[in-house]
Amino acid sequence: MTANDKGPVTNRRNILFGVGAAGGVLAAGLGKAMSAERRNEQVTDAPVSDNTRQRQPFYGTHQAGIITPRPAAGMIAAFDVLATAPEDVERLFRTLSQRIAFLMQGGEPPVFDDKLPPSDSGILGPLVPPDNLTMTVSLGSSFFERRDWLAPHKPARLSRMKAFRNDALDADLCHGDLALQISSNTPDTNIHALRDIIKTMPDLLVLRWKQEGSVPVLPPKPDGSHESARNFLGFRDGSANPDANNTALMDRIVWVTENSDEPAWARAGTYQVVRIIRNFVERWDRTPLGEQERIIGRNKATGAPFSGATEHDVPDYSKDPEGTVTPLDAHIRLANMRTHASEANLILRRPFNYSNGVSKSGQLEQGLLFICYQADLEKGFITVQHQLDGEPLEEYIKPIGGGFFFTLPGPLDDSDFLGRTLLEAAGHAVTRVRS
Amino acid sequence: MQLKLRMSASLFALSIAVLPGAALAEVSPLDLVQPIADYKIYVSENSEKLVTDTKAFTDAVKAGDVEKAKSLFGSTRMSYEAIEPIAELFSDLDGSIDSRADDHEMAEKDPEFTGFHRIEYGLFEKNSAEGLAPVADKLMVDVTELNKRIADLTLPPEKVVGGAAVLMEEVAATKISGEEDRYSHTDLWDFKANFDGSRKIFDLVRPLIEKDEAAFVTKVSANFDAVDTTLAKYRTTDGYQLYDKLSEDDRKLLAAAVNTLAEDLSTLRGKLGLN
Repeated sequence: MTANDKGPVTNRRNILFGVGAAGGVLAAGLGKAMSAERRNEQVTDAPVSDNTRQRQPFYGTHQAGIITPRPAAGMIAAFDVLATAPEDVERLFRTLSQRIAFLMQGGEPPVFDDKLPPSDSGILGPLVPPDNLTMTVSLGSSFFERRDWLAPHKPARLSRMKAFRNDALDADLCHGDLALQISSNTPDTNIHALRDIIKTMPDLLVLRWKQEGSVPVLPPKPDGSHESARNFLGFRDGSANPDANNTALMDRIVWVTENSDEPAWARAGTYQVVRIIRNFVERWDRTPLGEQERIIGRNKATGAPFSGATEHDVPDYSKDPEGTVTPLDAHIRLANMRTHASEANLILRRPFNYSNGVSKSGQLEQGLLFICYQADLEKGFITVQHQLDGEPLEEYIKPIGGGFFFTLPGPLDDSDFLGRTLLEAAGHAVTRVRS
Repeated sequence: MQLKLRMSASLFALSIAVLPGAALAEVSPLDLVQPIADYKIYVSENSEKLVTDTKAFTDAVKAGDVEKAKSLFGSTRMSYEAIEPIAELFSDLDGSIDSRADDHEMAEKDPEFTGFHRIEYGLFEKNSAEGLAPVADKLMVDVTELNKRIADLTLPPEKVVGGAAVLMEEVAATKISGEEDRYSHTDLWDFKANFDGSRKIFDLVRPLIEKDEAAFVTKVSANFDAVDTTLAKYRTTDGYQLYDKLSEDDRKLLAAAVNTLAEDLSTLRGKLGLN
């Protein structure tokens, strides 16, 4: 692209100059600079954001993308893994780790001779921005079961997802040997990352299904506080999520620790549940507000429980045994009874909204790409979902896909790679060399 | 906090401004007693007819009389489809009587796939009654149980009135495309029964709102009439033509009518003062 296409300088530079100039003069000057800027903007100019340089660390005890605050765009891609021999599985894990390390860091992909296909899809330009990207690698039960040498090392509670009562599972949207959760500030960054993985490891990974999703972005609040994002039913989703900044709480709810009976290699990992939950949004939009609120158990506008004023108020069901305030079959009540015993069933949710297209009947294919993490799959999601079986919300939702996975512990540093502890536990000697 | 309160207050004002007709008619709960009683009779008649028709249908299946069983499939389902909002209150039976292949992960091969559509799959897709006898027996047991449970059921008024819209939602979401009877293509029989079942509820409560909601009543009636006129074009001596005979224009017309009816009938409960 030449300078003549769009004028002498890029918009980004214009903005930087405008701000720089305004710094020394009156605020009105800034206004003028900004409106001058707008006049020069062209229809197909890239939208500008200050967030493309946001970066999450790849290395650490735990993988990123679990307690990392959820950005605006997310994706789950599930793969079948072709590698069977230990050396090939090691190559898979090492290559994945290298690609993720690069993509999360950002940088310049190698430039090849132009008689060859380029090394990178190029959709983010010659300098790949990190854009808050995380890529989180998890393994399905089939990954272990189809490899004799790994089968004995399968996490104790990892199973193949079975249909729950209201499920209408589509086999083409279920399970997989390996799940990749990709999240970042923009859908294009996620797509770039996925295309990189597909291009880099065609002999090791075959894409099985994927689902993209989004989270509505809100303006910052003057007091700096945050509120939970809304799902496609228009309700706040995540108000009761455990505090991800509380390390002790995360050790109890999310991470496999030395206190559990899971294999030692799995420590610092976690169980991931993915569910593609279709929402019948036309029908929901034709449901009286009062009924919507009774089904969920919260005020739609504020997100507050019926016994509170804000979304973070905690309902006390012991004072409402008959369900006169919050119906006994309200979604939030069935999902979390808020008793001492129900604390064993807490999960960390990290969902995205999805919108795919139009059904055969001409209705919107929309819903929730539900993702959650927990240290114990059975006490966590499976128990909670069984409590929800039969809830009135079922009339408006239909889980159609997803799977259960185990999220690997994090790579400790650049001499480490994802899955190393598993390979070592299986007796496959690996060397740790700085890449 | 103050900002939030002000915002929700203004949203409330906005919704009132946009929906001036939202002032609801004055209907006393007692006014609903007779329509609900009449509807109970309608439901009972249909569930008894379902038992009788299903007996003849499953007998043909078990006798291996594929042609006879095929000819009874469309009509047998109609009494179920007409009272679906009530039948669905028993979700275990609804699953085993009327679930479709795509409700199950292994689709047609799934052992949980039973009932009408499992038999339909055998008869129309495989042109055979082989292996269907146990499915037929189970279906007969299930509809008999349904009839018994319906006889013992006290109909909740909000479920009855809401049922008018529920039937339209079912058609709009998964039937208008011809997915329901995908092997036999007898979907128009189901449509007819769904629309009749919805209209029955509307007609029963209509006198309660006719005066205060005249425009609404006229509009809903006109849409039901449009559906009837369209479906009548596909009538045969003993039922309806197959779904693939439905013209694209008529399919769109039905789709628009069903969506409009779903929108309008979704306000019926509120208009009658029901939660």
